[in-house]
Amino acid sequence: MSKTDDLAQQRSRAAESREKCADWKALLERIPYAQHLGLQVQCGDAVVLVYLPCNETLIGNFMLPALHGGVVGALIELTARVAAQSKDRDKRCPRIIDSHVNYLRSAKAQSTFASAEIVRQGRRSSLVSVTCWQNDKSKPIASGQVQLLLPTIAAEQEELHDS
Amino acid sequence: MNELSRLQHSHVVTAACQFTEQVPHARALGIQVVSVDRDQVRMRLTPQSWMFAQEDTKEICTSLLYSLADSAGGLAVIAGAMELMPIATLDLRMDYLRPANGDRALLAVATCRHLTDQVAFIDCDIFCEADSELLATAKATFMRNTHGQQFHSNGLKKNSV
Repeated sequence: MSKTDDLAQQRSRAAESREKCADWKALLERIPYAQHLGLQVQCGDAVVLVYLPCNETLIGNFMLPALHGGVVGALIELTARVAAQSKDRDKRCPRIIDSHVNYLRSAKAQSTFASAEIVRQGRRSSLVSVTCWQNDKSKPIASGQVQLLLPTIAAEQEELHDS
Repeated sequence: MNELSRLQHSHVVTAACQFTEQVPHARALGIQVVSVDRDQVRMRLTPQSWMFAQEDTKEICTSLLYSLADSAGGLAVIAGAMELMPIATLDLRMDYLRPANGDRALLAVATCRHLTDQVAFIDCDIFCEADSELLATAKATFMRNTHGQQFHSNGLKKNSV
């Protein structure tokens, strides 16, 4: 592959990442609870992250101190929701069916990051895997899997009947 | 329960309720302890508009039900174990059966199913308080006696638990 091809590919990847980033931001802004928690979107070169700044109201154990398990759960669920909706061609708003979170390390009272990986995006449902970490990405504090249901659109079904 | 353990339990419960109500995140969400029996805990959450899942609907975000289940589960461990030791959630699995309507209070009922020296197994159901409709179910495991300082309230001496 020539250098120009390489460069072109890099540029298109960067453009794709910028687009995804703007998409995630817009989706997150429409979730009142995500706004209340202060969730923000951060864009890396290749990956889009959700960032949760720490504040006192997120503490679950003030002796350690540590984040509340529910805050980590919310970060995982909301990241999964935005990832699934952004991936959907019609940007349908998904409904969370279930979620399963494993807590791997104590979540300190610090900034927390989450990244999502779509395990499978189907026509009706989506399975998203989310990993959370704090200052060291190689030491995740929690990981979770979220199943989401995408509403079926009547018009889309009609289209299928026609074809 | 004999008289002594009943007394011990009430001490632990009082301290645990105080502790739960002091948790900053539980306070921020307005979570209230409704009742604590030996191994069953009831907690209430009153929805507010910032808890909604979407701008244009009045449905409560599932993550609030998640936080409520985690809080109720944690207190159920302490009530079941009858001791105030630090605990940590190992894992939590939620099934969201129905959407939670934003103008009705949520009621969580958490039960301590089994305790080992190190682990507690918890079930939690979340209902719509007004019509007792089941909205979500949760299963959680907690690690008991996690490292860190033992906490105790002013009215409870360390030796009494």
